[in-house]
Amino acid sequence: MTTPTHPISVDQIQAGFAQSGYICNDDIAMTMFLAYQLEKPVLVEGPPGVGKTELAKATAHYLNYELIRLQCYEGLDEAKALYEWKYGKQLLYTQVLKDKLGDLLKGAHGLAESIDRLHEFGDIFYSEQFLEPRPLLQALQAEQGTVLLIDEIDKADHEFESFLLEMLSDYQISIPEIGTIKARRHPIVFLTSNNTRELSDALKRRCLHLYIPFPDAALERSIIQTRVPGISAELQAQLVGFVQEIRKLDLKKQPAISETIDWARTLLLLHAEALTPELVESTLNVLLKHEEDISNVKDDLRTLFNTLLKR
Amino acid sequence: MDRVMVDFVKALRGNGVRIATSETLDAMHALQAVGYRDRRRLKTALGVTLAKTEEEKSRFDACFDQFFQFNDFEQFEDNQKPEPPPASLLQSLLNPTPQPGAEPQSELGQLLLQGSPQDIAQSMAQAASAANVRDIRVITQKGLYGRRMMMAMGLEALEQEMWAAETAEDPSQAALGQQLRQARERLREEVKHYVERQYLLQASGDSRALRESVMRETRLENLREFKDVQSLVRKLAKRLVATHSRRRKVYQRGKLDVRSTIRHNIPYSGVLLETHWKTKRVDKPKVMAICDVSGSVSQYSRFLLMFLYSLTEVISNVRAFAFSSDLMEVTDWFERENLDTAIDLTLDRLGGGSTDYGRSLDTFTTLCLNQVDHRTTVIMLGDARNNYGDPRTDLLQAVHNRARQLIWLNPESRLRWGSGDSEMKRYQPYCTWAEPCQSLNQLERFISNLLRYSQ
Repeated sequence: MTTPTHPISVDQIQAGFAQSGYICNDDIAMTMFLAYQLEKPVLVEGPPGVGKTELAKATAHYLNYELIRLQCYEGLDEAKALYEWKYGKQLLYTQVLKDKLGDLLKGAHGLAESIDRLHEFGDIFYSEQFLEPRPLLQALQAEQGTVLLIDEIDKADHEFESFLLEMLSDYQISIPEIGTIKARRHPIVFLTSNNTRELSDALKRRCLHLYIPFPDAALERSIIQTRVPGISAELQAQLVGFVQEIRKLDLKKQPAISETIDWARTLLLLHAEALTPELVESTLNVLLKHEEDISNVKDDLRTLFNTLLKR
Repeated sequence: MDRVMVDFVKALRGNGVRIATSETLDAMHALQAVGYRDRRRLKTALGVTLAKTEEEKSRFDACFDQFFQFNDFEQFEDNQKPEPPPASLLQSLLNPTPQPGAEPQSELGQLLLQGSPQDIAQSMAQAASAANVRDIRVITQKGLYGRRMMMAMGLEALEQEMWAAETAEDPSQAALGQQLRQARERLREEVKHYVERQYLLQASGDSRALRESVMRETRLENLREFKDVQSLVRKLAKRLVATHSRRRKVYQRGKLDVRSTIRHNIPYSGVLLETHWKTKRVDKPKVMAICDVSGSVSQYSRFLLMFLYSLTEVISNVRAFAFSSDLMEVTDWFERENLDTAIDLTLDRLGGGSTDYGRSLDTFTTLCLNQVDHRTTVIMLGDARNNYGDPRTDLLQAVHNRARQLIWLNPESRLRWGSGDSEMKRYQPYCTWAEPCQSLNQLERFISNLLRYSQ
């Protein structure tokens, strides 16, 4: 295992990310730099498939940190996000220790004395041995640096959002039975959101806000270059140009980078040398995920190709 | 450095970007980490810490470009002078070519042609405080304050000298006149920028607030005149969403949920340690909006629909119907097209023609009376002026009986209900409530009530 790297400049981060296969623009690298320097969580927004989750993975890979992921959904609560008591273990231990308890309490006179003796053992059954740490607690307890990814926070309830505030601003969490647990090392926290609902101002205030849009042609080409290395330069230029044109159309769901990559891989598998209307028509379902969109684009295919060829 | 930052934050707030003090501190830290050499990176760093939504980002970008119009970050290092305009651009004010003989006599002329950028900056700052530029409130005052500032700097003497020099026969004098004219034009640019920046700092927030309050009170039919009314509606809608999306579950304390309690206590081998209480999920209201689109009422319908379709987060299902002489469903258009196109389409198809409430209600009931259920709120928007036709109140009663509530919004004030061909008084008994709706304020209040009581 190599030693963790410490990013000193924006350019370093950009180069480091590129090594782990994540090509990013200046804005993203800048935000990462600030997140590292200011020790602030990053709220990443943008259309689906532009690499929000990938960013967290790339950061973990680059810094050589462990990635802890918490997927949010409606009804997510503390027990699943923070900690839970190991009920089974508690129960088993009380059963096993029944006899011991009998020994312990032997000779005690009256209820008061028995209770006093029990008190000497403190809250054995509510100590850390019986605590089942969930992602948030894991991130706080980790000795090494970690990257904590709280994915799709907009899917969780408002209550959970408020619950996160303590964690995000002070990197600590209060557990009623044990007390406040502080982070051993501040994790790098990412929150991603698809904007299905507006997040609260309190949450936004505590985070740096990064918006990742669809990439421009040059960036998208270099992403394809890294992710699908075998593809010919000509085809790569054509396909990126085509995708960029498609994004200008009025579609239900616009193709994101992940779809461009999938498409490039598909074309590579088919040993395609150049884009033809027939080829596009037969592989369009990789790029577009709605029947309506596919038929729309098929109708416009000729005009799309004409604009592409003119360039 | 701090001062510039604080001013910038003030300007941003004036332009509708919400910034908390802690965020300003973050921005300062970011500034320290990044430095201010690279303008693009500085912009990114500040944007990431200060603007937290897509909309705010675009406002931030505009504001940043306007505020730091030139590469004037030198002043970050310069704390002594109160408000010196950027030095680098003032360099351009100085005429690099040596003077051909003639020397300017007026004070301002000397300053412009021979003074250092710092001197000019100083003079501008003094003139600004003499002209009370800080009092600027509305955008049309920019010219006035610019002029006042230049007068305070001694424009009159400069112009007199300039005219005298230009009409003189001596070629060196004429050249001086030329230089002075150029210097004056450049100064005018400078002053304009200075005043604009002051406006951005001082007033844009106030004037926006003023404009919004005017817009909210204006009668809806006149609101088309305002350009940014749609963004205001969106803002109001957003606030409604924020207040009403919070409570989706109501906890009924005191009613034990036996099944859930038993299930959750299995880990304790059935000993009931944890109690679970019954909760009630709050349904999002289902809304059917029936809008009159004839004549002037169409403008009111337009705003109602604009509101309803901005509230998709708290209203699950909006179906829109439009009518004038007959009724049809227009939900599809509103879901697929943008608002303006949808409204234009509707008006094209249905607008004009004499209003017939009876026939429209008849069509509505045959079309979807069976889909109106106890969760549906029916909103009727119209002036109830039926051209003396049959009002068919029996149909409205049928709708009222099935729906959770039937609300009538009338663009006319209460006093005029029932006058002339208005059937409002006859319809009113079958409405859960009926209200006049004339301005955005009233409309907002209505929607807020709708969300509150339909839960």
